[in-house]
Amino acid sequence: MASLNSDEWRAICDKFTNALRLTDTESRNDPENDPFRSKYNARELLREIYCSLKSFEGGDGEEETGPDSSNQPPPEQPVDGQREDAFTQGFCGDSPEGMRAAKLGAVEYYLGVNHVETEELSAGQEHLMNCMKLLDRCRVSSENVSLGIHVRNQLGILWAGRDETETAQGFLETAESIYQQYMKEDGTPPTDMTEYFSAEESMLTHQERTKKFELAYTHTMYYLAQVYQNLGQTERAATYCHSTLQRQLQLNQFNPMEWALNAATLSQYYITKGRYMEGRHCLAAATVISGLAGDAPSEAAAQESKHLCDRERERREHLRQKRAEIARCWIKYCLNLMQDAKKLLEDNIGELDTDRQDELKRERRRQEEEEEKGRKTTLLFGSEDTFDSITSVEEKVLCLIPLDFTEARAVFLVGQNYVTQAKEYFQMDGYVTDHIEILQDHSALFQGLAFFEEDLERRCKMHKRRVDMLEPICNDLNSQYYLLIRRQLMFELAEIYNEMMDLKLTLANSQTDSQSLDNHTIKKCNHLCAASAKHYQMFLDSMCSPDGKSPEHLEEEVLRPALVARFRVARLHSKLISSLPTVQLDNLNKSLENYKYVVQYCETHPEAAAAAETELELSKEMVGLLPLKINRIKARMAANN
Amino acid sequence: TLLAASGDGDSIKVFVRVRPLTQGTGLTTDGDQSLCLMVTSPSTIRLLSKPEPRTFTYDHVADMDTSQDAVFNSVAKNIVESCINGYNGTIFAYGQTGSGKTFTMLGPSELDNFTDELRGVIPRSFEYLFFLINQEVERSPKSKRFLCKCSFIEIYNEQIYDLLDTASASLFLRENIKKGVFVEGAVEKFVSSAPEAYQVLSMGWRNRRVASTSMNRESSRSHAVFTMTLESKETINEVVNIRMSQLNLVDLAGSERQKDTHTEGSRLKEASSINRSLMCLGQVIMALVDVSNGKNRHICYRDSKLTFLLRDSLGGNAKTYIIANVHPGSKCFGETLSTLHFAQRAKLIKNKAVINEDTQGNVR
Repeated sequence: MASLNSDEWRAICDKFTNALRLTDTESRNDPENDPFRSKYNARELLREIYCSLKSFEGGDGEEETGPDSSNQPPPEQPVDGQREDAFTQGFCGDSPEGMRAAKLGAVEYYLGVNHVETEELSAGQEHLMNCMKLLDRCRVSSENVSLGIHVRNQLGILWAGRDETETAQGFLETAESIYQQYMKEDGTPPTDMTEYFSAEESMLTHQERTKKFELAYTHTMYYLAQVYQNLGQTERAATYCHSTLQRQLQLNQFNPMEWALNAATLSQYYITKGRYMEGRHCLAAATVISGLAGDAPSEAAAQESKHLCDRERERREHLRQKRAEIARCWIKYCLNLMQDAKKLLEDNIGELDTDRQDELKRERRRQEEEEEKGRKTTLLFGSEDTFDSITSVEEKVLCLIPLDFTEARAVFLVGQNYVTQAKEYFQMDGYVTDHIEILQDHSALFQGLAFFEEDLERRCKMHKRRVDMLEPICNDLNSQYYLLIRRQLMFELAEIYNEMMDLKLTLANSQTDSQSLDNHTIKKCNHLCAASAKHYQMFLDSMCSPDGKSPEHLEEEVLRPALVARFRVARLHSKLISSLPTVQLDNLNKSLENYKYVVQYCETHPEAAAAAETELELSKEMVGLLPLKINRIKARMAANN
Repeated sequence: TLLAASGDGDSIKVFVRVRPLTQGTGLTTDGDQSLCLMVTSPSTIRLLSKPEPRTFTYDHVADMDTSQDAVFNSVAKNIVESCINGYNGTIFAYGQTGSGKTFTMLGPSELDNFTDELRGVIPRSFEYLFFLINQEVERSPKSKRFLCKCSFIEIYNEQIYDLLDTASASLFLRENIKKGVFVEGAVEKFVSSAPEAYQVLSMGWRNRRVASTSMNRESSRSHAVFTMTLESKETINEVVNIRMSQLNLVDLAGSERQKDTHTEGSRLKEASSINRSLMCLGQVIMALVDVSNGKNRHICYRDSKLTFLLRDSLGGNAKTYIIANVHPGSKCFGETLSTLHFAQRAKLIKNKAVINEDTQGNVR
C-alpha cells in the first residue's frame, strides 16, 4: 500500500487551507464580471487533493467507487431514508478504511459545495452524493458525524431549490436523527471536517469542536423550519423556528438585535394562534436580548448624536427603530388579549355578560393550578444569565385573558406604556403611516377597556379620548396619499360618536323618569348624533367620483362598511330631536332616503344582501314605516296652517 | 381607446409587449429563430409550453409590430390626463434584461431627437403633459398656473441614491402628513417644457448602476424611479385652489435580478457566511403569521423600499400601468414564463381598505 510521506501530506494540507481561504475570503473580492474566479481556483486545488488521496492511499484495490469509476451502478434514487443501521454496520469510523472514506468524503463535500455555489447544480449533487456513499460504508462515529450532517444540510438546500421539498425533507430529517442518536450514544465533541487536513498542532479544542458541530445542527433546524413552512406545516415550522432561536441563544451564536426581532415576530405567530403564554415569553426574551445590542439611546441622546459620525448615528437610529418595532409587537399582544376578552365576555348586544364572567373566573382558578405544569412543558428561552431577566419582564403583564376591569386596566396600562415608547421613534413627522397605526391601536386599547367600565359617564370619557387622538389627524391627513387610512379613521370616528350618543341617551333615560329630556341633554345628543352622521357621510363621500356621484358598484372590501354607514346615517337622522316640524320632516326624509338606498342596492346587487343581513331587514321595515310617520307630520303641519 | 372601455374599476392594468427577434445585439438568443409564444388576440398571449400550451390574458397584449405611438396611446395617455386632473399615476416597466424595457420607455438609446418615431413612452408623456398644461393655461390664462418638478432616484441593494446628485450619500424615505411618502433630500429640478424634462431624465439615466452578468450582457441592477410632481394653482374669486399630483415612471431592475423577492418559490434561505446570522428566519416566521383570522399583529420586517415608496400606486387611489416586456425567443422561455406570471399576479394587487368595524350584533 503506497502511502504519503509527511512532505506530501504537508503539501495536501497547505492546498486544503488555500482552497478554504479562496472560497471563504478571497471570493468576496472577485470582480463583477468574473464572479467565481476564486471559487474556480479553489476547485482546482480540491481536485488535486482528491487525485493525490486516490493515488497514494487507494492501494487496497478491491472496490473503487470514485466519481471516475466506469463500473458504477446506475444512480440510485437520491432519497436518504432513515438508516437504522448507521450506528451498527460498516467500517469503524476510526479504522484506516473509515478515516480514508471520511477524508475522501470531505473533499467530495467541498467539491460539491463549490459546484453548487458556482451554479453547476447537477455536478454539485453528484459530488455530494459521492460523499454520502463514502460515509455510508462506515458507522457513524465522532470522526464522521459532523461531515454526515453537513452533507445532508447541503443536499437539503439543493433539493429544496428544485422544488423537491419532500426529498429535501428526507435528508434534513436524517441529519436531525443522526445528531440526536449520536448525542445519546456517544456525545463526545466530534472531529470537524477541516481537521482531516490539519497538522497535529492545529487541531481544534474540544470547545471549538462542539461549537462547530452544534452550529451545523442549528442550521439543520433552520432549514427544517423552512421546509415545513414550504410544506404548509405551520405549527411544525413554528416549533423549529423556536428551537433554532433557543439553540442560538444557548450556544451564544446570535446577533442580538436580529435575534430579538425574530423572537418578536414569532410572538406574533403565537398571538394569532391565541397562545399568549408563548407569545409573552417570546416578547420578554426579545426585550431582554435587544438590550444586549447596545445602549438604548433616548430622544435627547439622539439629538446629541448629531455630532457623531454618520455610521454611528445610523447604527443608533437602527437600534431605536428596532426597539420601537418590538414595542409595537407588545402593543399587539395587549390589544389581542383585550379583544379576546371582549369576544369571550360580551352578550348579544355587546355588553358584559356577568354570568359568563363568573363562570370564566371559576374556570380560571382551576387553570391557575395547572399553569405550573403547563409551563414546564413549554419550550422556554434563556441561557443561564438571561433567564431571570426574561422572567421578570414576563411578570409585568398577564398572559391570561383579563376577566374584570382591574385586570383589563393592568393590560391596558402596559399596552399604553408601549404606545408611548413606540411613538417616541415613530413620530408623525417622518412616519405617518406607522404613527397612525400606533394611535389606532391606542384607540382600540381604550375601546377594550371601556367595555369593562361600568360607570357610563366614565366610559363616555374614554371614548372621548379616542376622538381626541383621532379626529385632528383625520382632518389634517392628505386624502390623496392617505385615502385608505382616512377611510378607516372616518369610520372609526363615526362609530365612536355613535357609541357616545347611545351612552348619553341611556344615561339620560335612566336619570329621568319621563321621556322628556332637558335642553342641555338634547343639545348634547344632537351634537353627537350629527358628528357621527357627518363622519359616516365623509366615509361614503370618499368613494364618490370627482363629480360627486356615488359608485354604482361597491368594491368587495368596502361593501359592508358602505351599507352599514348608509344604515347608520338613516338611523342617526331619525334619532335627531327637534320640536320644529319642518326640521323633523327634513330629518325623516333623509333617513328614509338612506334606508331606501340600502334596500335598493341589495335589490340590484343580490350578492350584497348577505353582507348586511340585519341592516337590510331593518331597512326594509323602516322603508315601510317611515312614510306613515312622515305623512302624519305633514298632516299635522297642514292642520296647523 | 381600449383603456376607456375597461373603466376605472381596477387600479392596476397590465400591458404585455412582445419585442421582435433581434440579431447582433449580444443577446443569448442570437441566431435562434424559434418562438416560444404567440399573440392570439389583443388581450391574450399563448405560451408554447409543454405538454400543453398555456394562454394568459391581460388588459392588452402588443405584438412585435406594435408602434411606439400605439403603446403610448394605450398605456400613458390616460394616465397623463388624470395627472392634470390631480390624480397620481405610475407606469412600471418590467421584464428580463434585453426584453425591450428601455426601448419601450425611452426609445433607441442613442436617441436625442424628440421627433423620432421611435421615441418611447417617457418622451411622449412629457410632450403630452406639457401640451395639456399649455392648453389649460391658454384656456384660463389669468387664473391657472402650473409648477413642474422632477426628481430621479435609484434603489440598489435596498439603498436609495440620487441620480441627479451622484455625490450624495444614500438617502432615506420619509412620510409627511401633507406630502405622503418622499425621499428626504432628493434633488428636485424645476422644468417648464418637455425638452427640459427629458434633459433631466437623460442626465440621471447615465448615472445608473449597470453591470455585466454571467450571461455576458448589460443588465440594470437597480430600480430607477423618475418622479414628476405637478402642482396646479387655480384662483377663482380670490380663493386659491391648489392641487398636487405625481407621475412616477419606474424602470425595474432586470427581472432575472429579482430572485430575492417574490419569484423565488420554495428555495431555502441559507445561513449567512457569518455564523451568527440567520437573518432570514424572520422571513420564515413572517410567512407563518396569519392575517386571515382577523387578529391584529405587527411584523418587524418592513416592505422593500420600492414598494413603500410606490405603495400608493400599488392598488391605492392612483392609476397604474405595468408594462411587461417579453422576448419571444424560445431560449427565453423560462424568463418569459416568470414575467407572465408576475404580470398576472400584479393584477391581483389590491390595497385593501380594511375598516375597523365591529361586526354585527350591535344594532340597537
